[in-house]
Amino acid sequence: MTMSEYLLSLDEMKQVDAYLDKGFQVHSVNENLSGMFVEFKRLEEVVSLQILTAEARKYFAAKLLEQSMF
Amino acid sequence: MADLRIDLAGIKSPNPFWLASAPPTNSGYQVQRAFEAGWGGAVWKTLGEPILNVSSRFAAVSFNGQRVAGFNNIELITDRPLEVNLQEILETKKRFPNHAIIASLMVEPKQEKWHEIVKKVEAVGVDGLELNFGCPHGMAERGMGSASGQVPELVERQTHWVKEVARTPVIVKLTPNITDITMTAEAAVRGGADAISMINTINSLAGVDLDSWNTVPHVGGKGAHGGYCGPAVKPIALNMVAECARNRFVNVPISGIGGISNWQDAAEFMLMGATGVQVCTAAMHHGFSIVEDMIDGLNNYLDDKGIASVMDLVGQSVQRYSNWGDLDLNYNIVAEINNDVCINCNKCHIACEDTSHQCIDMYTESGRPMLKVREVDCVGCNLCAIVCPVDGAISMVERRSTIPPMTWNERQSLISNFSR
Repeated sequence: MTMSEYLLSLDEMKQVDAYLDKGFQVHSVNENLSGMFVEFKRLEEVVSLQILTAEARKYFAAKLLEQSMF
Repeated sequence: MADLRIDLAGIKSPNPFWLASAPPTNSGYQVQRAFEAGWGGAVWKTLGEPILNVSSRFAAVSFNGQRVAGFNNIELITDRPLEVNLQEILETKKRFPNHAIIASLMVEPKQEKWHEIVKKVEAVGVDGLELNFGCPHGMAERGMGSASGQVPELVERQTHWVKEVARTPVIVKLTPNITDITMTAEAAVRGGADAISMINTINSLAGVDLDSWNTVPHVGGKGAHGGYCGPAVKPIALNMVAECARNRFVNVPISGIGGISNWQDAAEFMLMGATGVQVCTAAMHHGFSIVEDMIDGLNNYLDDKGIASVMDLVGQSVQRYSNWGDLDLNYNIVAEINNDVCINCNKCHIACEDTSHQCIDMYTESGRPMLKVREVDCVGCNLCAIVCPVDGAISMVERRSTIPPMTWNERQSLISNFSR
């Protein structure tokens, strides 16, 4: 396995976008040795996403900033 | 023609180039020759109770054909009586009244010892004092030099004792053999220092002879750690100067020391907060005349930049030096290979493939071997450009990020609001 994570990071970013596009809001964020664990919430529905790649974790933070601003 | 004069805590000199306290400033003969060559100031080899030296004393580290990439010494302070040195300082100051002569001092950490030597050296007209809290070898075993300089309370107290009687500006010379040099810099300021200088030499052993198994250097088959300096230490020194320059409690001028070999090095230290620089190894390697190129080069640089005075350089880059946590995580650069210039040595490919992010692909076009960067996987680490032997073959270019700037600290602050 090489360090190339581009495709994986793209996939993770798409998943973040998909939840946000469906009206989910970021509910909780926790980071540990295994990466970033995000819970999205829409009304009573809660879904979890594990983000592994560095680029996607950067991307998620930018999206979180957007959510916090609006 | 730019104005190269500097004023460091009240010590004036015709240019920012001083010889550091070391073998080149051991005697009036040498310092006067240095001033004739163009040096603006000299920090006299450390005065104190005359010591005894051993033989041999120096060693150098060469690297890939570069002689004296690093320099190691186990020589101590002056081995001549104080009165001999003072007489030569007096004569030198008389001949060169507009050049800066700073007396480097080292005595036991006792108030009366500091008072005695300060009064004696100031009586012959030195322009300033530099307290040697830096030498790591020999004298440190006797409680002086870096042994004093590694303990903030001792730095503060001894600086205070000197300031009780000093009439000239007091520079405190700091040791790099400490985890955080700003701790001792702050202590010097609390003690009343008018300026600080850094770095003294770094604890070192130059090498081991693979035939005799003796240390390099050795004294009849035995060795002891020395002090390391020269071009190899420049990045360490530059960081320490910068860390002090951006520390709000270290609000005194800085005299930069450590591997300065040419005018470019000097300009970098001044941009990072040094008001002037001290040079030793380069002078020991090439002689006093190197200062001519230093003066010409700095002068031309300032003229090209339209800067009237070298003092206007001081500290200009300090604000650009910050904590890692304040850097933009989303700033992007990538490598770009110019195949018209590339000689296909493949060093970049090997470096990237073996030790970085595997983003330089080899391919063939019209029968010619080519290299191409996969930008989506390039993290902008610079390694390929660093190892490339051909100027212009690899450029690092900015790529505008699709997401806004965000530092690690900003990110953590943001995420902490969602930690449950």
